[in-house]
Amino acid sequence: MTLFNILMIAVACLLGVGLYGLLITRNLIKIVVVLQLLVKSVVLAFVLAGKVSGHPGIGESVAATVIVADTIVAVVALALAVQVRIRFGTLDIPKISSLRG
Amino acid sequence: MNIPMFTLLVGIPLVSSPVVYLFGRLTTRAQVLTRQGWIVRFLALLAVAATWFPFVNLWLEFQAGGRRMFFNIESIWLQMDGISFLLAAMVLTLGTLAILFSGRYMAGDFGEEKYYAMLLAMIGLMIGLGCANDLFNLWVWFEAMAVSSYLLVAFYREQPGSLEAGMKYVVQSAVGSALALLGVALVLAQTGTLDMDQIRLMVGTMELNQVGLLAAGALFFIGFGVKVAMVPLHTWLPDAHSQAPSGISAMLSGVVIEAGLVAMLRALSTLTGYSLSWGWLLLAFGALNMLYGNLLALQQTQVKRMLAFSSLSHIGYILMGLGIALVSGQPAGAQGASFHLFTHMLMKGLAFLAVGAVMYALFHEQGIHRPLVAHDLNGISTRYPWVALSLSIALLALGGLPPLAGFMSKWQIFVAGFQSGDGWLMGFVVFAAVNSVISLAYYAPLVNRMYRRVTARSVKKGSASISWTLQLPLLLMALAVVVLGLFPSLMNWLTEPAGAALMSIFK
Repeated sequence: MTLFNILMIAVACLLGVGLYGLLITRNLIKIVVVLQLLVKSVVLAFVLAGKVSGHPGIGESVAATVIVADTIVAVVALALAVQVRIRFGTLDIPKISSLRG
Repeated sequence: MNIPMFTLLVGIPLVSSPVVYLFGRLTTRAQVLTRQGWIVRFLALLAVAATWFPFVNLWLEFQAGGRRMFFNIESIWLQMDGISFLLAAMVLTLGTLAILFSGRYMAGDFGEEKYYAMLLAMIGLMIGLGCANDLFNLWVWFEAMAVSSYLLVAFYREQPGSLEAGMKYVVQSAVGSALALLGVALVLAQTGTLDMDQIRLMVGTMELNQVGLLAAGALFFIGFGVKVAMVPLHTWLPDAHSQAPSGISAMLSGVVIEAGLVAMLRALSTLTGYSLSWGWLLLAFGALNMLYGNLLALQQTQVKRMLAFSSLSHIGYILMGLGIALVSGQPAGAQGASFHLFTHMLMKGLAFLAVGAVMYALFHEQGIHRPLVAHDLNGISTRYPWVALSLSIALLALGGLPPLAGFMSKWQIFVAGFQSGDGWLMGFVVFAAVNSVISLAYYAPLVNRMYRRVTARSVKKGSASISWTLQLPLLLMALAVVVLGLFPSLMNWLTEPAGAALMSIFK
């Protein structure tokens, strides 16, 4: 078992957990957490891609940038979740859907 | 100090965004009771008007010189080709008009300065998106644009509907961009570079892992497809477009989904060496979008929601024009699609802004917050004749009635399909023409309501007249829709290079 294989399995697992989590999660805060897991698998994939292709510098610098960009999305999503909690009194998705069609 | 024109083009809106916000905050703090909103409005308008200056300069340079220009901001290289200019022109046109319109529409709303700051940032980021020259750079512009649009969709944060729409939009869009990013990682693993030209070259000439490239293409398609609202991935669109402030609805429908399309095309174009069948995929999704968008639009009672579904069907026409170009290898389809991108921006922008003007007069001025349903349009021509006229022009143009702009751009796409001589492509064109007729079934009744029905009670309660600052952008756009319908070749200066650029990246 080389480091490469371990990383590969980690990417696949995180991606699987992220996608599965999106399907079953109903709480807004948990959805933000699941989204983070999904993106972290992509970050790991970039580090791996840099290693595989022989340009580790590119992969790692991209990974660092993605962490920043992704944090901003998480902050925005959490801010919205706070507003949802204030206005609707719940974070449960089925209870806040009013728009149809 | 000599600042390059390109830096100005992207820099003016991006730098003015925090400046506008700060000015808004400072003037509000100074006089708590009398908000100095006009400073913010004026600064925002000034910033977007100033951005036209580098655009025109760059355009002259582009026309005089070669076909592609490269620029750098420090070590990041960006390009300007026909597609970048098309997107920049669309963003600036609609951005200027939307800011002009919002001046009165958003006046006195809580957090007005944030609205303009985010709108300016979105304008700058979309111009940058069109100029990206490497895959990761493209993703960063895309993501930043998405973040600014999340905040604008959920702008009325005290409204449950807009919060819900914003949340849906954030979650779906974030999953989409994560998947697209995974595609970028796969391409990087195969080629060791992120530069789009180099990747295109390597995919065409080297022996690479075919499964990896196929997966990357699929991830680009799905990931960016969320933003383009291709049909199974569209569910955020009707909510977001109908719940956002009207100026933002116009921007979202007129340029943001198109910017997503540009990102998708740029990313997919790097993989053309692997397969040329992306064209058929675009055709299939185009047909699906048209049919689904039209059928759902027929059922809507809320006007803005109906317009949102009609955006789905118009994205369908654009995808079909691009598909025809890729399958037949002729630039005519790509040029038609570029023209439809531009006319759709005008028509849909006009429709959303006109509906916004009606909503302002009927509800906002009375302090009511509720969606505009079709019934509220009954007889508005008697009270607001100019708004009714421009909304009618927009709706009939969207339905493709000659001699309006929407007819001409659809016509270009249809002609491109027939000229290819391919039986399948002709079949798709016939399908699109049938859809165009179906769409009149929901546009025409609204025109009928405005002119021939007895005035609704909600209209009688509305304010007596609509301010000229709201009507001026509407009349300008209505004029443009009519003029472009009579003289479609007026836009060739923009659509021809865009079509040629699309064909050259997909070669």
